[in-house]
Amino acid sequence: MMDKNFEPRIVAFLCNWCSYAGADLAGVSRIQYPTNVRIIRLPCSGRINPLYIVKALQNGVDGVLVSGCHPGDCHYISGNLVAGRKFALLKNFLVHLGIEPERVQFSWVSASEGPRFAQIVKKVVNEVKEIGPIEKMVKRL
Amino acid sequence: MMKEIETRIKEVVKDLFTQNKIDLFIGYSKGSLPLTSSPCFITKSEDIEKLVWNSFCSNNLAVYLPRIFNPQPRKKEKIELPRIGILAKGCDARSIVVLIKEHQIARDNVFILGIVCQGMGDRKKIRNDIEITGAEEKNGRITIVDENKKEIELKREELLSDCCIECQHATPPIHDILIESGNQRPAAPKGGGRDFEKKSIEDRWNLFQEEISKCIRCYACRQACPNCYCRECFADQTKPRWIGVTDHISDVMFYQIGRIFHQAGRCVDCGACVRACPMGIDLRVFTHKLVRDAKELFDYEAGVFLEEGLLLATFKPEDKQEFISEP
Amino acid sequence: MHKRVLVVGGGIAGIQASLDLAEMGVEVFLLEKGPSIGGRMAQLDKTFPTNDCAMCILSPKLVEAAAHPNIKIIANAELKSLDGEIPNFRAKILKKPRYIDEEKCTGCAICMSKCPVKIPDEYNKGLSKTKCMRIPFPQAVPALPIMDRESCIYHQRGKCRICEKFCEADAIDFDQKEESIDVEVGSVIFASGSEEFDAAIKDEYGYKTFPNVLTSIEFERILSASGPTEGHITRPSDGKEPRRIAFIQCVGSRDMQMGNEYCSSVCCMQAVKDSVIVKEHLPGVEATIFFMDIRAFGKDFDKFVNRAKDDYHTRFIRARISAVEIDPATENLIIQYNSEAGSLIEENFDLVVLSVGLLSTAGIRKMAARFDIEINACGFARTSSFTPMTASRPGIFIAGTFSGPKDIPETVMQASGAASAAASLLTELPIRELREELPQEFDLRGEQIRTGVFVCRCGINIAATVDVPGVVEYASALQGVVHSQEFIFACAQDSQKLIGEKIKELKLNRVIVSACTPRTHELLFQKTLSSSGLNPYLFEFVNIREQCSWVHQKEQEKATEKAKDLVRMAATKAGLLEPLSRMSLKVNKGALIIGGGVAGMVASLELSTQGYEVFLVEKESELGGNLRHVHYTLEGEKTDRFLKSLIAKVKKDDNIQLYIDSEIREIMGYVGNFHTKIGNGKQTTNNKPRELEHGVVIVATGGEEYQPSEYLYGRDERIITQRELEERLTKQQSAIDKLGSIVMIQCVGSRNGQYPYCSRVCCSQAIKNALKLKEINPEVNVYMLYRDIRTYGLKELYYKKAREKGVIFIRYEEGEEPQIEAQNSKSEQQASNGEVLVKAYDPILQRNLVINADLVVLSSAIRARKENKILSQMLKVPLNADGFFLEAHVKLRPVDFATDGIFVCGLAHYPKDVSETICQAKAASARAVTILRKDEIEAEGRVSQIRKERCSGCGLCIEICPYTAIELEEGERVAIVNEALCKGCGACAASCRSAAIDLKGFKDEQILAALSVV
Repeated sequence: MMDKNFEPRIVAFLCNWCSYAGADLAGVSRIQYPTNVRIIRLPCSGRINPLYIVKALQNGVDGVLVSGCHPGDCHYISGNLVAGRKFALLKNFLVHLGIEPERVQFSWVSASEGPRFAQIVKKVVNEVKEIGPIEKMVKRL
Repeated sequence: MMKEIETRIKEVVKDLFTQNKIDLFIGYSKGSLPLTSSPCFITKSEDIEKLVWNSFCSNNLAVYLPRIFNPQPRKKEKIELPRIGILAKGCDARSIVVLIKEHQIARDNVFILGIVCQGMGDRKKIRNDIEITGAEEKNGRITIVDENKKEIELKREELLSDCCIECQHATPPIHDILIESGNQRPAAPKGGGRDFEKKSIEDRWNLFQEEISKCIRCYACRQACPNCYCRECFADQTKPRWIGVTDHISDVMFYQIGRIFHQAGRCVDCGACVRACPMGIDLRVFTHKLVRDAKELFDYEAGVFLEEGLLLATFKPEDKQEFISEP
Repeated sequence: MHKRVLVVGGGIAGIQASLDLAEMGVEVFLLEKGPSIGGRMAQLDKTFPTNDCAMCILSPKLVEAAAHPNIKIIANAELKSLDGEIPNFRAKILKKPRYIDEEKCTGCAICMSKCPVKIPDEYNKGLSKTKCMRIPFPQAVPALPIMDRESCIYHQRGKCRICEKFCEADAIDFDQKEESIDVEVGSVIFASGSEEFDAAIKDEYGYKTFPNVLTSIEFERILSASGPTEGHITRPSDGKEPRRIAFIQCVGSRDMQMGNEYCSSVCCMQAVKDSVIVKEHLPGVEATIFFMDIRAFGKDFDKFVNRAKDDYHTRFIRARISAVEIDPATENLIIQYNSEAGSLIEENFDLVVLSVGLLSTAGIRKMAARFDIEINACGFARTSSFTPMTASRPGIFIAGTFSGPKDIPETVMQASGAASAAASLLTELPIRELREELPQEFDLRGEQIRTGVFVCRCGINIAATVDVPGVVEYASALQGVVHSQEFIFACAQDSQKLIGEKIKELKLNRVIVSACTPRTHELLFQKTLSSSGLNPYLFEFVNIREQCSWVHQKEQEKATEKAKDLVRMAATKAGLLEPLSRMSLKVNKGALIIGGGVAGMVASLELSTQGYEVFLVEKESELGGNLRHVHYTLEGEKTDRFLKSLIAKVKKDDNIQLYIDSEIREIMGYVGNFHTKIGNGKQTTNNKPRELEHGVVIVATGGEEYQPSEYLYGRDERIITQRELEERLTKQQSAIDKLGSIVMIQCVGSRNGQYPYCSRVCCSQAIKNALKLKEINPEVNVYMLYRDIRTYGLKELYYKKAREKGVIFIRYEEGEEPQIEAQNSKSEQQASNGEVLVKAYDPILQRNLVINADLVVLSSAIRARKENKILSQMLKVPLNADGFFLEAHVKLRPVDFATDGIFVCGLAHYPKDVSETICQAKAASARAVTILRKDEIEAEGRVSQIRKERCSGCGLCIEICPYTAIELEEGERVAIVNEALCKGCGACAASCRSAAIDLKGFKDEQILAALSVV
């Protein structure tokens, strides 16, 4: 059952050149989206060690969003493409183990896609709200 | 057949020593229990007789190579690398390919005695209420003797390990000499973890939790895996500390997820981790997912082509984008 | 005076020229008539053929130009006069009022949100509204608002001043006047661009009359996620998604009626790209392109067109559309056209996009006249093939579409080339010294963490939503924080000063600023740290404006919570930050240039002129490369004379060490420090050193003519290549005189399954030779069998001329290539009447033709050299699928490789004509000088770092690194990072299973720390 008052905590790992810029553009365009997301800026989606994502879940974060440049747009030529393979494998693997697919989501957002960034955030927040607070993987002492 | 192969192995190894081509040969010797064999290191011709070949030569011998070529702690002065001969089934050879690609093996110093593998047996497939006191293998049949001296005859096929049943690479993709072993066994359709995958997400999680809760973090899986040659495993690191030093199931999961994920594009599905686990965790249900996805998503199989780039260092324009959430 | 250049025009041409000059140590004044730099590229959605997001690749360049200490951007200004000569030009610039004080304005844009007047948004081509007081577009540089005086209520009616009331920086100035600025410069680059054709003039297409007829640039805005419809493709009349879209090509181009006879070069690919993007947005849509010839003449363009056809089902219909009609009931558009078979077809479309051409206007002509810049018949700046960026007036150079329509990479090459040419004039002048004395950094060893947190209100931009005092108070209680305070504007000068004082007074050793976005402001605060004695990397930026207050305007409490969380995460990470230093690296001043054709020689002379030593290596025994076989240009210029003088100049140049008959054996090292071994050639004419040290490499190895295996080539003397024809036209004209009928066959070895690319120059070359044939003997019959005539840009004029002279053009389709039959064998053959039969299917007459030819001329492809493979492995730079060298970025880095210090020019990159080759060669030298100019190059601060004891030497990081910055150290077999090459992407660190490699500034530990307190 969906708890109406549940406000999930979402971490977003964004690459500096496209997705972070897209998030900035959403701001400049005053596109409103839920407050649940905490953004961590990294130079490139290629910087994201898959273990960060697992760690976030272990830390009790309800959802993780990872976003980089669209294929071809990477400021570092191929960082997002190399990362893409890891992300695809990790996502499938976590779902295989029984982690809800909604908890870990990936997207490509360019510097000119402010609206898309806002939509992605809304989607992730809504979907995580739907499945409720994280229970699996969390380290509760 | 087995005996003939064993004889042939001994001949080859003998030649290698006689011609002074190797300093060390890694093969199998008789195990301490029936239906087992142990890795064995031969350094002189006199010991060649110790070598055996049977349906229980399961260990992935490639695990020893990084330790020999890349000893820890690292030596400052340049060491003279030994010349090693190694017996390699399909999976051992694939591990060797992976390790060559990852610069852990000096190819020139390794003589690979490849052997077309008919699959290895898994002792655990015998009813566990039988106490095996002796065993004999003949013409594809294995006869075991129980505590009451009663002989029980089993078909070899019934004892094959799960990973062997599904193996698609019985022939070593790399070898210096190849010993054939009759017709190749047709590989069974891939099934590892498929049943598991069909379960609901909650059931999967519960099973994962159940399996992982058995883990005592003894790291035997890591020890047995040829790919786990890291100088300092992420699980042991303190700066940063990736995993808490507790037996909290979340920490144990983190270790298992991390170690298994580190095998992406590298795991040859040799089953070493499963055999090594003292708690009987069926790790293959998890490891095989990555093997399958590497193939299905990126048409990549570990250790098959020496010239192919590493799975996680390359990409193709046609890489599937299904992992991406669209708004 | 030091080296100074004025760049007129702030589009991508002006920006690139400015950045290159600035990096060469030249002070640049970048003049832009609009309120922001960026030009037309800023309005594009994506760029072909890679579909890169235009703004993603452009915006870092805008920011770089704004931040460069050698560049002064003067926007919203016009050049009034230009007197004097090299190197003493005096420019008078008129800066129009923005009605804000640029010194005081922080760009917070509160004025824009409060301004009550809406006006059409020029950036979106009037398809949406903006404010009278507005920042032109979100990524604008300078990021300052501008007021439209004509629509300002206060200016028109004397009442309002709302913007002034809300501006906390007190920056609004209603009385601002025009300002005159005088600058003295050594040379000038005009990158003033072109205009789009006004589609309303061709009223038969119904633009401005029918709502659903748009221009290509308007459509580009509609496709853009930041455009008027946020990237939803809808048609203006009813806001519905179109199902059928037509693109009409050549609107205002190749149009004699309009007086624009040339081709606009870019519209074909733009339409193809848009057809693909439309399909990605709306999978059900059907896109149709009505065209005359598809001019996909650039690198990988044809592959893109094939993809559009095969994968995206774009319909290509060869027809010139005469009119667009409307169905008044549905506002759909009706297009009638003649099919190739001759029948009249009528189709209905929901939306029509007019691919408008680029042109020169009366205004551009007038401007050119005012500054004594000669223009050609089409109204573009006149240049020669051999000096493609030199204007008629000495000291003035041209870049971009001011000298004719061109795509972004050609523009960027010409801009870099112009920068090189402009700088070459100023070699006598000193460079501008910029050395800034920074105080000694504090020694932090053994110090406790002492963090200062500064929270910005940004006027009310942040403070209206986020409880700033609340955040300040919260921050003060965080671990390590010893000071926290707020500012109205953290970026204001007095705030900066105060941060500096606090650092010293409280011995702060970590600084957190919680304000807008680090993408624009991080550098500013880092500078404040440096000038206060604190290492600039001990800084964390928290974005609570773009990513908090502006996106949660109605949720004050939650936004405040979020701001606190973000500050907590930053403070936790900050505790683990370390001071970083930028490694510097000595630069060897020599250049290795591989290839002694035109590209290599031009680059050599350019570098030599600027005072650098050049090692020019040519594998053949003479210089000149492919140009030896070209004797005149399409425009009629004699290449022989040019080549002869070029070779002479190279030979007598003391700075150029020539290695003839020599090959590269080995190249080791990296930017600034290459070591090369040169193999002994056949002749050892000198005893020059065979082992060279140099700082850069320019690859100019050229290409080669394809030797056809088709059309009986090599088996019958009457079948020759264009190159052979050109030799005969120059050397044995008598043999040509007697010929009665000549057939030319295009695309021999190009645009086929195995070699899908277009060789770019063959259409022009064929037309050039056809015209020559007609000149020698006007009676001769010349037939040209072609697939698309690709005389892009001003070359189109010669296509027209050829038609006028009676050259007969017959098209053939792929798969229906002409057939050749030699009637008599070679031995019996007399050089007399036409006895080679050429059979072709004419799709217009719809029947087979048989032409009796005396001579068949094959326009054979240009191929990449096979040796490219070896060189690419030596240099560790990539080739594309066709074997040409693959540049770092097809649009914006057309001469660079991803690996620093290595550049490419000429046919090694892709087929091109002599003028384009010279452009690219000069561009490559400009890029090379940006490195050679420096005694030391500074690496990035945030680079990768190895923990040797953890490294197993598996080589994953080495394979992943796109910059070849990591190598395996042979002795200990561990990875080592070359900081000079590392760009700090961190892909290596994220891939290492042993965490043996980490990225400084974004270390695992630091990221995990932030993650632990989310």
